Amino acid sequence: MVQTEAAKAPTNVDVLVIDDEESVRESCRHTLDLEGYRTHLAPDGLGGLKLAEETRPRVAVVDLRMPGLSGIEVLERLPAIDARIVPVVITGFGTVDNAVASMKLGAFEFITKPFEPAQLVDAVRRGVARSLGREHAMATAERASAAATAARAPEEPDVILKGLEALSEGYALGLTASNLVEELRQLEAEAKHHAETLGQIKKREKVIGDLVADLRFVDAIIQKHDFRKNALIQILLDIQSKKHWLPRHALMWVSRRLNVPLSRIYEIANFYEAFSLTPQGAHLIQVCLGTACHVRGGPLLLKQVSAVLGIGAGQTDPKGIFTLKSVNCLGCCALAPVVTVDGRYYGNPDLRQLRELFQACEAEVATEVAAS
Amino acid sequence: MTKLNSAKDLAALRERLTTTHKRPDRCVAVCSGTGCLATKAQVCADAFATELQRQGLAGEVELRRTGCYGFCERGPVVVIQPEDVTYLGVKASDAAEIVESTLNQHQVVERLLFKDDHGTRLQHLNDIPFYKYQTRLLLDANTRIDPKRIDDYVANGGYSALSKALFEMKPEEVLAVIKHANLRGRGGGGFPAGTKWETTRKAPGDIKYVLVNADEGDPGAYMDRSLLEGNPHSILEGLIIGAYTIGACEGFIYVRQEYPLAVTNTLIALDQAREYGLLGRNILGSGFDFDVTVHRGAGAFVSGESSALMTAIEGRVGQPRPKYIHTSVKGLFDRPSNLNNVETWANVPLIVNRGSDWFRSMGTENSKGTKIFSLVGKVVNTGLVEVPMGITLRDIVYKIGGGIRGNKKFKAVQTGGPSGGFLPESLLDLPVDFDDLWNNGSMMGSGGMIVLDEDNCMVDSARFYIDFLAHEGCGVCVPCREGLRQSLHILNNIVAGKGREGDIELLEELCDLLTNASRCALGTSASFPVMAALKHYRDEFEAHIRDKRCPARVCADLIQYEIDQQKCVGCPLCAKSCPTKAIHGTPKKPYSIEQSLCIKCGACHQVCPAKVQAVLKVPALAPRATTVS
Amino acid sequence: MSDHGFAKGEAMKQVTLTIDGRQVEAPTTATVLQAAKSAGIYIPALCHDERIKPFGACRVCMVEVTKGKRTRLVASCCYPVEEGIVVKTDTEKVKKIRKLVAELLWPAALPLALELGVTSSRFSAPRGECSLCGLCVRYCDEVKKQNAVYFEGRGIDRELAFVPGVKVDCRACRECFDLCTGGWIMNEASKAFE
Repeated sequence: MVQTEAAKAPTNVDVLVIDDEESVRESCRHTLDLEGYRTHLAPDGLGGLKLAEETRPRVAVVDLRMPGLSGIEVLERLPAIDARIVPVVITGFGTVDNAVASMKLGAFEFITKPFEPAQLVDAVRRGVARSLGREHAMATAERASAAATAARAPEEPDVILKGLEALSEGYALGLTASNLVEELRQLEAEAKHHAETLGQIKKREKVIGDLVADLRFVDAIIQKHDFRKNALIQILLDIQSKKHWLPRHALMWVSRRLNVPLSRIYEIANFYEAFSLTPQGAHLIQVCLGTACHVRGGPLLLKQVSAVLGIGAGQTDPKGIFTLKSVNCLGCCALAPVVTVDGRYYGNPDLRQLRELFQACEAEVATEVAAS
Repeated sequence: MTKLNSAKDLAALRERLTTTHKRPDRCVAVCSGTGCLATKAQVCADAFATELQRQGLAGEVELRRTGCYGFCERGPVVVIQPEDVTYLGVKASDAAEIVESTLNQHQVVERLLFKDDHGTRLQHLNDIPFYKYQTRLLLDANTRIDPKRIDDYVANGGYSALSKALFEMKPEEVLAVIKHANLRGRGGGGFPAGTKWETTRKAPGDIKYVLVNADEGDPGAYMDRSLLEGNPHSILEGLIIGAYTIGACEGFIYVRQEYPLAVTNTLIALDQAREYGLLGRNILGSGFDFDVTVHRGAGAFVSGESSALMTAIEGRVGQPRPKYIHTSVKGLFDRPSNLNNVETWANVPLIVNRGSDWFRSMGTENSKGTKIFSLVGKVVNTGLVEVPMGITLRDIVYKIGGGIRGNKKFKAVQTGGPSGGFLPESLLDLPVDFDDLWNNGSMMGSGGMIVLDEDNCMVDSARFYIDFLAHEGCGVCVPCREGLRQSLHILNNIVAGKGREGDIELLEELCDLLTNASRCALGTSASFPVMAALKHYRDEFEAHIRDKRCPARVCADLIQYEIDQQKCVGCPLCAKSCPTKAIHGTPKKPYSIEQSLCIKCGACHQVCPAKVQAVLKVPALAPRATTVS
Repeated sequence: MSDHGFAKGEAMKQVTLTIDGRQVEAPTTATVLQAAKSAGIYIPALCHDERIKPFGACRVCMVEVTKGKRTRLVASCCYPVEEGIVVKTDTEKVKKIRKLVAELLWPAALPLALELGVTSSRFSAPRGECSLCGLCVRYCDEVKKQNAVYFEGRGIDRELAFVPGVKVDCRACRECFDLCTGGWIMNEASKAFE
């Protein structure tokens, strides 16, 4: 809906771009000029506000991160110049808090650096539509307000406050003017759109954040081993024991930091029993198939456990609760056959006991999921 | 801890620890080896701590969490000292009674004592047949010290051999003692340790290494685990003496990461030894510098091979090198490197302390001292046993192991790990001796001793070892990789009832190739299990191939489970245990198995009460086709 | 490397050995395979290339070496020459090993099999198109320093694989394609870099 409304929005309007990076400003101008907008550029917040005063743009494209007056401060002051100016906010990594703050300040459109020309055009187009809608609503509200409060002496409030007040009053009066309904519908759609954008920013930041945290974690391990190439297997064991698997980015990082070819790391990771290259289930079940366990029915026990869990040896169930492994010898031969559940040993367990243990594991995961 | 700067300092410390700072004579020793921990020894020890406190004995009776006692199957093992009252299978709930009766009133808790065949309760550890016939030189200390306390080891005479070597002997003299003792490698091959040390000592180069092989990859064996967990300082002391003799400045302990407790206890031991000045620069003020690093193995049987182990420490994939030059000359980082197994190193301090003649007094002509075995499988008493060389297999199986469980018939004993061989009844009087075992198609190996009974299928057992070796080799050379792949394929077919005439001969040809052409010892000895099985149990192979019959009723494709309608009492145990819901019926009436749903996991057979025995294993009507890889 | 593939430096020190009844001189740094080659004596080999380190994987180059009283079977590509040793390159034992190796690798390494007179295999689980001689892996590592291929897994599960996300395009280099004994690398490279 926003799209259709926005598609009809005129392009022969003023757009202001405030960004400290010249390359960004110029590419914005290039993109917007091509669309027919009258583009004005400002290299900083103060200049931008001044230009806003002069040109009264429909849309102000504001970079949040600028030296001097910050983007947030610009957003704070824009309404005082003209309530119809709709900000489009440029965000980068690490600015979720700012994005939230700017949203509270009425920003509806976000584009994340680096962005494609089309993203900018879409955002500006929606901004213009929004601005026109806002102008229309204000005019309606003003008329309503004038009619309703003719007796009361206006106290010269801030123009945007006045607009909002009028709007709510108009609402309370049960005005059913199509434009107002339309406005609300549009608001709702836009709010949804922003929530999505913000969600995406947050998600992206979480992914990048997790990645950075992982690399720091891996780096600490590498440092602990003094960046020694000889310690490669030890480093991989440390990563495995903490993360329960070896993510690709961790291996790439180890390769880079130790200056060891990635091929060698993959060779090691694939060679040894201890490593897994896919995420493991929350609970690790090991069935020992060492000789002592073999002669005392280890393979049968594996069949039983496998049938109960519904997964074969070396597999993780689709819910990620269990990973079942067969191991060569746990060195607990006198208790054969042996099963371990998360590192705890069970000698010659009966199936009922195991079923109970597995149920406890499942329940634990379910509680954790519910808690999060 | 203060640093010890001389032999005198060490002696003074020992004096202090055995007089003024002596720990109480009265002690509750709770085995805290992995086997007993699996049977909840931790909870049990905690319960003793609480009870000692509660009954006001905390000051006079010490609670000691010791290393492995070896009798893991009957764990947790708790021994009350100095009376030497041995309780087996102790639970946390027994703690109150033991403290009350044994410690306060000097009464024995009869029901927790070992009961022999005649129903007599035996009080002392060494009365128990399992222990009676052992000679526990290495394992004895396990039961007396807390492996996490270096003081226990020192009080027990620890590091006196190191002190003796450093201050009273020249490296040549130590070497002469080890050579004269004829200490042979306990890791598998039985190569004389002294000769190996001498090669590394004489090899050109300033930088040399000594290494401990604790990559105990043999399935069914855990001797090294027990020593490293229970008495890490004994191995460390041996290693330092070896380094002094060989002229090495750095040592490595390669231990499987599957043994977390062994890793932990070793790291603690290294730290404590460093703090006392027994490791690091200027050991005991002697001017000898030596330090040790722990390398955790990531789990691959082949990485226990000497050159593979060293390659792994260098940070590369642990596969054997294609070299014909010994690692003792060109090993870790291409420098002379001496690798010995855990048990070999643990023998060194004993030999240095008591002399080579003492060591030579035990054993046979060419195999001296004792050997630890992991006696497991179908014997009554399973666990770790240390026996003098020369004892017969029969004595180990019947006197120590108490014979076969459930009055079943003995079929074979397998020694030497996955590349060892099976020995039949007729060879049970063989002495435990490196050469005798080798000459009879098996080997000493690192000490796995698996006893099989009539319920074990020899084709399946051979298949088990080939499957293990096929997946645990490095996969570099053709004979081992492809030879084992085809061997496994053939054996899989045989156990599935798809064996053909000529399979046996083809297996023999592959065995020959493995022995003659493989790149490392894993491959050359990989033929042993099949060769030994074919030599002694050829009829079982033939029964599988010609009659599609598994005499031991093990091979799943050749048997099926059935419920005897006359015997079944209609209890629902089997139906409840069945993971695939293949058993139908109503309580109080005989149940029956739907063959198409049965995965032959044997759960029903296991739960059917011994008095009833209604679930039967019978030959399959027609061999069921299953996919064979 | 000199013309015969001997390492420089110690080329001065020579030893004399006997190969198939002929006296052969070789530098101490040489392997039996190199010594034989320099004397014009042919020993078949699959996983060997003079440009890369000996690997000793195929065991096709095995020979019988007698040193003093002891005779043993060794891989000539790895075994260093020694004064006075007696080498036999074509005994019945050696021939049997070579043929069985070719049969086990069937149908990979087909040219070698045919050379050895092996025209079929008695084994029912054929090897496929890769003999795992590792020439491509080692060439890419030691000579090209690109490390685009590696050995994945161990034991009978060992296979070759391209390093995930590798930057080099094997189709542009192709140098190891000529070394390939089974045809795997050409086929897989064209799939992996499409």
